[in-house]
Amino acid sequence: MAKGFPYGGYIGQLLRVNLSNKGIVKEDLREDWARDFVGGVGLSARILYGELPAKTDPLGPENKLIMMTGPVNGTMIPAASRSSFCAKSPYTKSFFHSIFGGFLGPELKFAGYDGLIIEGKADKPVYIWIDDDTVEIRDAGHLWGKDPFTAEDILRKEIGDEEIHIATIGLAGEEKAPYAMILCDIRASGRGGMGAVMGSKNLKAIAIRGTGGVAVPNMLRVYNTAIKINELFATNPSVQGLSGYGTPRNVAAMNEGGILPTRNWQTETFKGMKNITAEAMKEQVVKGDRACFACSINCTKYSVVPRGPYKSIINGADYETIYAFGSLCEVDNIEVLCKADELCDYYGIDLISTGVSIGWAMECYEKGIFTKKDTDGIDLRFGNADGMLTMIEKIGKREGLGELLAKGTRDASKIVGRGTERFAIQNKGLEWPGHTCRPFPACAVGYATGPRGGSHHDIRPTAEKSGLVDRKVLEGKGAVAAEVNHWLILGDSMLICHLGEPIWGPLKISDSMINALNAVTGWELDYERARKIAEREWNMIRCFAAREGFTREDDRLPIRFMEEPVPEGPMQGSLITKETLERLKDDYFSYRGWDLKTGNPTKQKLSELGLDFAAKDIC
Amino acid sequence: MARVKVKSFSVIRDVLGSDIIEIDVNKPATVAGLFDELVRQYGQAFKEKIWDPNTGQIAPFLIKVNGSLIRSTSDMDHKIQNGDELAIIFPIGGG
Repeated sequence: MAKGFPYGGYIGQLLRVNLSNKGIVKEDLREDWARDFVGGVGLSARILYGELPAKTDPLGPENKLIMMTGPVNGTMIPAASRSSFCAKSPYTKSFFHSIFGGFLGPELKFAGYDGLIIEGKADKPVYIWIDDDTVEIRDAGHLWGKDPFTAEDILRKEIGDEEIHIATIGLAGEEKAPYAMILCDIRASGRGGMGAVMGSKNLKAIAIRGTGGVAVPNMLRVYNTAIKINELFATNPSVQGLSGYGTPRNVAAMNEGGILPTRNWQTETFKGMKNITAEAMKEQVVKGDRACFACSINCTKYSVVPRGPYKSIINGADYETIYAFGSLCEVDNIEVLCKADELCDYYGIDLISTGVSIGWAMECYEKGIFTKKDTDGIDLRFGNADGMLTMIEKIGKREGLGELLAKGTRDASKIVGRGTERFAIQNKGLEWPGHTCRPFPACAVGYATGPRGGSHHDIRPTAEKSGLVDRKVLEGKGAVAAEVNHWLILGDSMLICHLGEPIWGPLKISDSMINALNAVTGWELDYERARKIAEREWNMIRCFAAREGFTREDDRLPIRFMEEPVPEGPMQGSLITKETLERLKDDYFSYRGWDLKTGNPTKQKLSELGLDFAAKDIC
Repeated sequence: MARVKVKSFSVIRDVLGSDIIEIDVNKPATVAGLFDELVRQYGQAFKEKIWDPNTGQIAPFLIKVNGSLIRSTSDMDHKIQNGDELAIIFPIGGG
């Protein structure tokens, strides 16, 4: 629409900033790529496949960091607040997408850009200031070494505009710590070390002010679509609890179901659960609700611990905080979890990888592999809340044992050896979120084959966890996982929030998702065409990994989940053996039309999807 | 008649008013009968937490009956007996 772009929702323009030569270029968004890859993650994958040679050093100036929006961002479509940072990950060594909510994505569009491609490396710390048409690379010497909150305060004052939106890295990003994150308004681009990529470019922050809008072909159609989706969110039983309790609404129910990861996944029932539920959180620390741009779900909670040793102010805690620092480390104090969340933001580290790395270290300590000599005198037993908080600080500062844990559990367990890799809860290097796969075969194959490894946003556990799909049946689970992949990746390309899962999915791309995309763009996609886009995107990302040398052999699960059954509770005895996983992978690859031996897309599949150019690299 | 205990969480617990309630289920003494009784006693406030008005179906979730899990989508005719303890494993969507 804008600047002659033929489709609604798009600005039609990308901003490319080269930090090495200070080049700032505004370039047209390719219409065919918008149609073939939509935006967000799909479009970023296509760009990076074309522009990054295989084996690019993720922390070298040749890597590129892309912040991309989708066509629905900046419109009134609910839950369309999100944006993506994509790059080759220093953590997982392949294409990575780290999605975040808040306001930054819409603001970039209001400034006049669908996406921002950052390349090269500045010779000294800088920040990028985008003020509609005016784009500057500014000195950030005075921000370097500052935590994200302080840096944001300084920037707001310096720029003289309280309403700018900012993405910032902390100390960990500056130090290129492997799982450094980018703080983005009230949310974070947490996973996969996107903050390290930003830090490797000497880029401290991106500040954006946009005063434009997003044009759509038929405002009434967008309005009616938004009204309908808001109604679905408001009345769907699975979405409703998010407004009142946020994502922690499931803590108590998951514990009752025997699927709350505990004690570094040695079990999945936590005896101290009662003190870290959404109900406890609401009673003790929550002071209000916050919503991302144009979202009616309102899942973010604003929490304050006003006094005492755990004094903190956070947007959260989310379920993943409660899992990673609560049940996983057996810490049953909600105030401690708020402090843990705040410390991760302060240092700019991914809280899931941080918590899981500490859980691994606690198990090492209790098994006698680590002693107080290794832990700098900390009695690092499960349940030691203060010890856990100290360890977060050590990771943030990369001090003592924190230096080892900042590498993540894959590398740390390789260094330590002594069988510790058997309880490193990661695959493809990424630590796991708080959603089990041991009783859930579709979820298991989704995690194993997912491009990021331990991400519950490449697969969703919900279908089997809710009983929508029978968890006890193996047959057909490859298809279930693939179709869940498809709604997730199309959502990540439109950039809508997965918490609207029952409406956007949950088993395949829904009419609501297609309606939202069609209303904004003016396209008239049917299910088959929408699915083909999603399949193309998923294959594009798989091609990126294949070109880096990843194969079927890399599609694994954490060893614990293949060898140690859940020891108690209603899921007692559940596990996914290696043999079962291989069978599930056969099923999944067959359904996808991928080569069973390599796990790569075949020439025929690539041709079907218009990805012939990748065949020479991987077939 | 079966007198059973029902445990619930989050928004459903808010409607039922307590972590665990005891309730009499007349005929049929099944999980479906239990949910009908809950709707009768707690009305629309309960129903809207469980039923999806857009599909007219009960939401998918697991129910724990004396330690074993059954599914709302397929096992609502599961028989219940006096003294049974049930838990509604919902809401449960990912974070």
